[in-house]
Parts: sequence; structure tokens; C-alpha cells
Amino acid sequence: MIVDVRGETCPYPMLKAVEAMKKAPPGEVIEVYTDHAPALETIPTQAKRLGFTVEIEQTGSPEWRITLKRDIG
Amino acid sequence: MSERSCLSSGRARTLAIPLYSAISLRSVLRISAGLIPALAIYLYVVKLQPPLAVFWLFGLAFGFVLQRSRFCFASSFRDIFLLKDGRVLKAIIIGMAIATLGFGLVMYNLVPNISREIFPVNAYVTPLGFHTVLAGIIFGLGMVMAGGCFSGTLYRLGEGYVASLATLVGILGGMGLLLHSWNWWWQNYISFQPRIWLPHFLGWTGAILVTLTLLLLFYLAVLWWESRGGVTARRPLTEQPLVTFGDQVRSLWRTAFVLPWPVVWGGVMLGILNVFEYLFERPWGLTGEVSRWSSGLLGLIRLSPGPIAAGAGPCAVGEASPDLLTWGLMINGGMILGSALAALLASEFKPRFPRQRRRYAQSLIGGALMGYGAGLASGCTIGAFFSAVPSLGLNGWVFGGGLAIGAYLGGKLIQRI
Repeated sequence: MIVDVRGETCPYPMLKAVEAMKKAPPGEVIEVYTDHAPALETIPTQAKRLGFTVEIEQTGSPEWRITLKRDIG
Repeated sequence: MSERSCLSSGRARTLAIPLYSAISLRSVLRISAGLIPALAIYLYVVKLQPPLAVFWLFGLAFGFVLQRSRFCFASSFRDIFLLKDGRVLKAIIIGMAIATLGFGLVMYNLVPNISREIFPVNAYVTPLGFHTVLAGIIFGLGMVMAGGCFSGTLYRLGEGYVASLATLVGILGGMGLLLHSWNWWWQNYISFQPRIWLPHFLGWTGAILVTLTLLLLFYLAVLWWESRGGVTARRPLTEQPLVTFGDQVRSLWRTAFVLPWPVVWGGVMLGILNVFEYLFERPWGLTGEVSRWSSGLLGLIRLSPGPIAAGAGPCAVGEASPDLLTWGLMINGGMILGSALAALLASEFKPRFPRQRRRYAQSLIGGALMGYGAGLASGCTIGAFFSAVPSLGLNGWVFGGGLAIGAYLGGKLIQRI
């Protein structure tokens, strides 16, 4: 599932990522595309609480792809 | 870390940026775009009015620190309720604790012998009453709707967030509404309210100790609240191992100017800068200047609010200034450019347009609420809270309580729009 929140104002990038994690079926990989740097600070805690691992890759300046996978184990 | 290349921008980029890209022509041009105006304005102002140039440097520094540490008063109060995350709120508390000690020393030099009639000049001790809570609630709701308070709006402008322009228009409009009703508020209510300054009741040591104790309890409350939300995880920052001297220098550069600063550093530096600004003249605040902008613009469209009854505190609303160059313009303008400079250095500057039209309306309304609330309280999250708590008055705490209520309501609201 792809969540493209580029251009969004604060706090929608985080809210939409959290919403996607809550709705994701087991095994679903969520890719969040954002240009909002504060999202990189808040999403890890929310992901951990919802049982997801986080991977952040810089794909532009400033643009990031945040890959969220459900923790197995 | 996976080493897959990502092709969204057509170029693979990993975290290890080679040296040639760090000193490419493009990056030199990018950084100059921020540095040259900052220097030019400094040189221009320092010739005309040297003290104003100091405020310009303070403004640049505040904007720079806010951008680097992703500091945000709106998110601090909002995320406590929305995400049970107190990351930024804890940094604010630490900044206020540092400023409490510093302001204490500055004010002690201003008022060595405490007497009931004397208040330290330029401290943010304002009349305390029902209007303080109301202003906090209105401001808190507005800042969450707009996605940033006054300081947040200014530094987001510097980063290229176009919706912040709508917020700014809203702020000036809401402030205009308040200016038209200020005299009524002042004459019928605010002027009768007491200014409660703790050293009058507890002496210097008592006032500082009580304020620091309250801040510590506040911090512990945030920790407890966070733990109720479950585990707290922070973003892992994977950096390449350093081998050569070049690696070391590059890493130093990246730590200072490219990677985000831990938010707590932001709090510490803002607290220290605030003390220095008070040592120089007055604590950090934005609202008085915003009210003068609003008043001046209203005058241009023949809606001038007319004479304004005297308020209290450095952030009290006022009439349009006849001078174009004021200390407030230096601070507020410096914050925009300081943030732009930091964003350019970190390659984080980008014009960002929200996809939904309604975000502009949301920012405008949020800004209007903030403008009204800040005028009513004689201060925003900075002047009525971040600089007010260390001023050892009670008004900062009461406004902060209002901010929390407003941010809670705002958090409920923004999930629906």
C-alpha cells in the first residue's frame, strides 16, 4: 500500500501513516512518501506501538520513503 | 540498512554523500541564497541602528535553531493527546528551566529589593484572569488547526510551506479583530486583573525553586503520560563508519547542518538564546510586533483600530509603528530567513503546496484564532508561555493550561477535516 502525503501540512503525514498502519491487513507493506521532516521523528514511536518496523530512506531533498512492515515474531 | 537504490528522483542516493557533492556549485549557490540576504540586511541595519542588528542576529539564530531541531510548540501540545508522544514538550520544559535560572539572575539585577509595586521591566508578567485561560484555549485550538504557532508559521514559511502564508494572513486578520475589541476588553475586564509575580510572595529563592519544582513535576507527568501510550521509540540514525580525516570533517558538517538536531538540544539552545536576549534587552516574543503589522495593514485599508489602550508586558498589542525598522521586525523577519538558511543548508527547502484546497481555509481560520488569542493574552506560545513561565509570574502556567485544552480540542477536530 502506498501513502503519498507529499505537500501535506503538519500533522497529516503522521496521522495518515498511523491510519494506514491501523487498517493494514497482515503481511501488508506500507510505503509512506513524505517531504515533511518532522514525520521522521514521530512515526517510529507510533510504528513500534502498533507493532511495525520502520525503514527510512532519503529519496530526494527533501523527500523520504518510510517503509513500514508488520513485526513478525 | 538495505542498499537498494531508489529511483523516485531518477538518481540513486545513499546516506554517504561524496565530498564533491558537498562542495558542488549547486550547493554553494543554494547556501548563498540564504546567506547573502542575511548578511546584507545585517550590514545595512548595523550602519543605521546597531542595536537592531543584534535583534536581527537573534532572529536568525531562533529561526535556525527551530528549523534544525524541528521544534514546534503546536505539535508539542497536540501530540501529547494525539499520539501520547511528549518528545517536544519535554524539550520545551528543559528550555524553560534554563531560562528560569537565567531570567532569575537578570531580573534580580533589575529589582534587587523586592517591593509589591515594582515589576521587572520587560518581564512577561501580565494581568491574570479568565481571559488568560480563554486566550490559551483559542490559541491552542488555532495552532493545531494551522499546524504551527506564530514561531512555527514563520519558520515553516522559511522552509517553503505555502499554507503558512494563509496562516499568516489569518493571524493578521484575527489580530485585527482583537485590536478593534481590545479597548473594550481592557477597560471592562483586563485592567482590573492582578499581575501575580511569585517573588513578591516567595522571595527570589522561593520563586525560582517553586518554578523549577513545577517544571520538574510537569516533566515527570509527561513521562508518565508517554508510558501509558506504550513503548517510546526514536528514529534510528545510521551513519557510515568514519575512516579518513575527510570522513570526520564531513560527519561534523552533517551533524551540524544536515542531520536533524535532537529536539532537546533545540530546547536548551532556545532557552539560552532567550536568556541572552533578555540580557541584551527583552525576552523573546513576537506578538507585539504582529499587532503593529496588523494595525498598520488595517490602516492601509481604512479599517484602522484607532488608539489602543495601554496593555501590559512587552507583547502587549500596540499601534502601528511609524518606523519601518523595529526590533520586532528584526526578530520575526530574522526567524523566517534563519529557518530558510538552515533549510537550504540541509537541502530541506522546498515549496510545498497542500493538495487539498481546504487546507488553506483551515490554515487561515487557525491563524485567525491564534491572532485573536495572542492579542488577548498579550503573547503567543513564546511571549505568554515560553518566556512567561521563566518570568516567574503565574500567567504563563495558566496560559499553558489553556493551550493544552485548546490543543486537545484541536486534535479532535483535525481528525475529522
